[in-house]
Amino acid sequence: MFYRTAGQFKTSYESDQALFPVRQDAILLAVILVFAWVIFPLTASEFTFQTLLIPILIYALAAMGLNILTGYAGQLSLGTAAFMGVGAYACYKMVTLMPWLNPVVAILLSGVFSAGVGVAFGIPSLRIKGFYLAIATLAAQFFLVWLFEKWAWLYNYNASGAIQVPNLTMFGVYVAGPQADSWVQYYLVLAIVSVMTVLCINLTRGNLGRTWKATRDVDIAAELIGINLMKSKLTAFMVSSYVVGVAGALFVFMWRGAAEPNLFDIPLSFRILFIAIIGGLGSILGNYLGAILIVGLPVVLGTLPAALGIPISSSMVEHINVMMVGGLIVFFLIIEPHGLAQLWRLIREKLIIWPFPH
Amino acid sequence: MLTEIFIKPFADMVEAPDFLLQVLWEGLVSGILYALIALGFVLIYRSSRIFNFAQGIMVVFAALTLVGLHAMGVPAWVSVGLTLLVMFGLAVAIERVVLRPLVGQPDIILFMATIGVTLFLIGLGEIIFGGENKVMITEELGIPTGSILFEPWGGLLILEQKDITAVIVAALLVVALLLFLNKTRMGRAIRALGDDHQAALSVGISLQTIWVLVWFIAGIIALVTGIAWGARAGVSFALEVIAYKALPVLMLGGLESISGAIIGGLMIGMLEKLFEIYWGQPLLGGNTETWFAFVLALIVLLFRPQGLFGEKIIERV
Amino acid sequence: MKHITRLAAVAALGAVMGTGVVAQELFAPNLSYRTGPFAATGIPLMNGQRDYMLMLNARDGGIGGLPVNFEECETGYSTEKGVECYEKTKGQAIVTQPWSTGITLQVLPKTNVDEIPILAPGYGFSPMADGKVFQWAFNTPASYWDAASMILQYLEAQGDLSGKKIAFLHLDHPYGKEPLPFLELKAAEDGFELLPIPVGLKEMQNQSAQWLQIRRERPDYVVMWGWGAMNAGAITEAVKTKFPMDNMIGVWWAGHDADLKIVGAEGKGYKSISWSYPALDAAVLADIKTHVVDAGNSLSNEEEMQGVFYNRGLVISMILAEGIRAAQEHTGNAQITASDLRWGLENLNVTDARLAELGMTGMVPPFQTTCANHTGHSGGWMLEWDGEKFIKTSDLLQAEADAIQPLEAAKAAEYAEANAPWAMSETCDAPS
Repeated sequence: MFYRTAGQFKTSYESDQALFPVRQDAILLAVILVFAWVIFPLTASEFTFQTLLIPILIYALAAMGLNILTGYAGQLSLGTAAFMGVGAYACYKMVTLMPWLNPVVAILLSGVFSAGVGVAFGIPSLRIKGFYLAIATLAAQFFLVWLFEKWAWLYNYNASGAIQVPNLTMFGVYVAGPQADSWVQYYLVLAIVSVMTVLCINLTRGNLGRTWKATRDVDIAAELIGINLMKSKLTAFMVSSYVVGVAGALFVFMWRGAAEPNLFDIPLSFRILFIAIIGGLGSILGNYLGAILIVGLPVVLGTLPAALGIPISSSMVEHINVMMVGGLIVFFLIIEPHGLAQLWRLIREKLIIWPFPH
Repeated sequence: MLTEIFIKPFADMVEAPDFLLQVLWEGLVSGILYALIALGFVLIYRSSRIFNFAQGIMVVFAALTLVGLHAMGVPAWVSVGLTLLVMFGLAVAIERVVLRPLVGQPDIILFMATIGVTLFLIGLGEIIFGGENKVMITEELGIPTGSILFEPWGGLLILEQKDITAVIVAALLVVALLLFLNKTRMGRAIRALGDDHQAALSVGISLQTIWVLVWFIAGIIALVTGIAWGARAGVSFALEVIAYKALPVLMLGGLESISGAIIGGLMIGMLEKLFEIYWGQPLLGGNTETWFAFVLALIVLLFRPQGLFGEKIIERV
Repeated sequence: MKHITRLAAVAALGAVMGTGVVAQELFAPNLSYRTGPFAATGIPLMNGQRDYMLMLNARDGGIGGLPVNFEECETGYSTEKGVECYEKTKGQAIVTQPWSTGITLQVLPKTNVDEIPILAPGYGFSPMADGKVFQWAFNTPASYWDAASMILQYLEAQGDLSGKKIAFLHLDHPYGKEPLPFLELKAAEDGFELLPIPVGLKEMQNQSAQWLQIRRERPDYVVMWGWGAMNAGAITEAVKTKFPMDNMIGVWWAGHDADLKIVGAEGKGYKSISWSYPALDAAVLADIKTHVVDAGNSLSNEEEMQGVFYNRGLVISMILAEGIRAAQEHTGNAQITASDLRWGLENLNVTDARLAELGMTGMVPPFQTTCANHTGHSGGWMLEWDGEKFIKTSDLLQAEADAIQPLEAAKAAEYAEANAPWAMSETCDAPS
């Protein structure tokens, strides 16, 4: 009824291949965008900005980067957090060495560094496959975190070894550091994440995306039909690491405000992998759905007992929280191994023919 | 600079041979424990193609159950028996609830599911046992605690008796396991399943039974590992991170190879210790053990993509 | 969203109180960690803090007639959760107790904008002592640099340090690196060799490489900045490598009874500097027993309650309670605000007489804070493990203020500059 496609005729291949072949999709997206750009910022409290809106966007972006590598090009990576770290430290060095640099430019440039590191660690993927490659990416994970700890130049020889985001301005408004307002940071993150999302959608739908998918499905077959595997895999590592690096810079500069090396350790990598997998590998939408679930759920669970007046200690809530997240991962994998995006696809298909069963 | 990298470390080794022996011994003990965890991974991977990330938390869970039961007043060896029962229950539960519905899914999905199990067990374990660091019931289990001193070349070599016990027990466990896999019906069934699922099923091997069995064996290995590590530094959830150490061992040894897990574990244990002491600490600021094993395994894999002892990868279109 | 949360919170409170009217209370949340790898050392501290506040509520009806709401927000020592907890509680809270150097570093710049006092007793960032720069941060009663200074003094009393070698075994984390600038300064001054040995978060339980290094380098002393599972790991390794226990000294967070019980009698002689001491005959413990333990409200147990960490938890809550009391007396209102509490914490004067009134004689050295001095520099005692428990083994040691203060001022200024614009209090003399 709401999703009836009757009367929407496709008269050319172009319209059939369009981003929104069904008009209602476009309307739905418009509604979501209105919420994201207007309604949320007007109504959200500081707490909502800091614990839901901003982190969901940043995590979704990081998961999108990982998804390009794992979901589209089929190269399993467990080192996402380390590449986020490269982005964050690169951004920190740039803004402290060149204070006149526009913060947004710095954030976008920092992805270039992580892309370079990503390609270097992607080279083994030409020979190593599957789980062996996954463990090989752990080498990047552990080595880079160790480097963040030991290379004092990276954190400007600061005694504590942590980096602290300075107050940065853009056109006279504070955009990063303790003086910045949450809504300003939210808009900035939203803008960057939106642009990156559009870029990713186009990339994955284009020639490069098809090359990646062919590599993912059967790489030898892909090679036989003339795809340069080296180029395909390394571009996947490059694009993925770029997106992840930008997400890392946003993570520290637009949200956390400070970072110590072990922030970029393996739990963060896993968290992003959860988002990508629960959201759905090989899907852009899935990253958002996954991020909403993985970031939002613990926050909601944490506030729920107090809101309902259940007397339960906060440590118990935390234990239950960890259990629930673990249980939910298993649960979602069992009901829909292709993730929330696939779940939405099924619901949408049902909606299109609803209320008639056939 | 070059002398510091290529000459000085070796000169140091020759100069203090007793210290070198001590370093190798410490590496050997860590290596044995890495090998044990890796063995748990390999068994499960061979029979079900599942990369079981939960092996680390199973170690913690087994050790905590043992200590917790003993704290409730159960005699030490009875606690060991009960812990084994708990691990069996866990094996059955994981098989029924998690693995059975996920049969036939891609590897990465199963891998994720085991991470989900890990998180679940961390939360559950903290609710049941609390987060405090606990003392392993070393003496109650009859493990000697003193140390033996040697004085080779006028130096000093300290061997902890509980480390020696750990090495012996681990060796016995490995021998028992190899005998089980090679000589018994069940053991052969496990190997058959590892070689070819469908062929194994068609000759009447029950997938469910084997999976429960394999997870149970992994549970036993976890308990032994838990006792050995717990005796060194107490039992707490921080122990879980040692699971990561087993991963490069798997890469080096090959995911399917039992002997690879053992040899890989010992190699990594000793090499990372040597590198840390003679190169890492003087030249790189220390703490190289976090990544050395991974980088070493990565380099080996570049030349042998299936690990040192893994099955040759044959690719077909 | 804001309204819904608020409505829900009001409804919840109403349900609890059974009246529907929001009760008057002092909201002093604690960012606790009873989970995660550091839970072992966190739990006794959190229990002590909590029991003291519960005792005040039960015995005196709170502070100045208002009950203290000592809600815990679980962080699991994760910085991310810590920031979430801070954001969640900052609306109503009069204080933030971040409980980790990582969370402290992250919350510190925010508190300066949000104007909420941050109370980090004996941890956090040492330059926080400079109250002119860190208007809202308090690391009363002693900082890490105080600890390092007291340890060095104690060692100096055993013999001249010049030409000696001191290994500094520390967690590779902002917390462990905190005393390095001071130790480096003293190493140059006193002519001893400083050998920093980092322990990675993943190596806490398996420190054989670090202890092999100690065996090779043969330092005269080992100074340890450990936390959580690292302490037990280090002490067992020390026993194993036959390092003389008398020459091993930890910071106050490395003096946890349970860590030493793992080695028992073999750990005899191990020392830890401390600004708190479990004076088991103190009157306050009897009050806690009657009002909290016997009422069945304590989460602690008999054994834990005799330990150093539980009792330190009591002292930490006492510092907060005294700050609240001072603020109440100053403003004349029972319901104080965050900035009132800042005044209170800046005007603490915990004398021996006051400690006797509180029933805490001997549990903490007397100290006093001012607007410019947010630490109070109480000094501390050297505690020694006798095989079963920690006992006092020295008179009150005082940190060298002359050496520490210039360093504090310099680092504080550096911090303010890196975070410019940073709101500072220009003068500390103006009446507030």
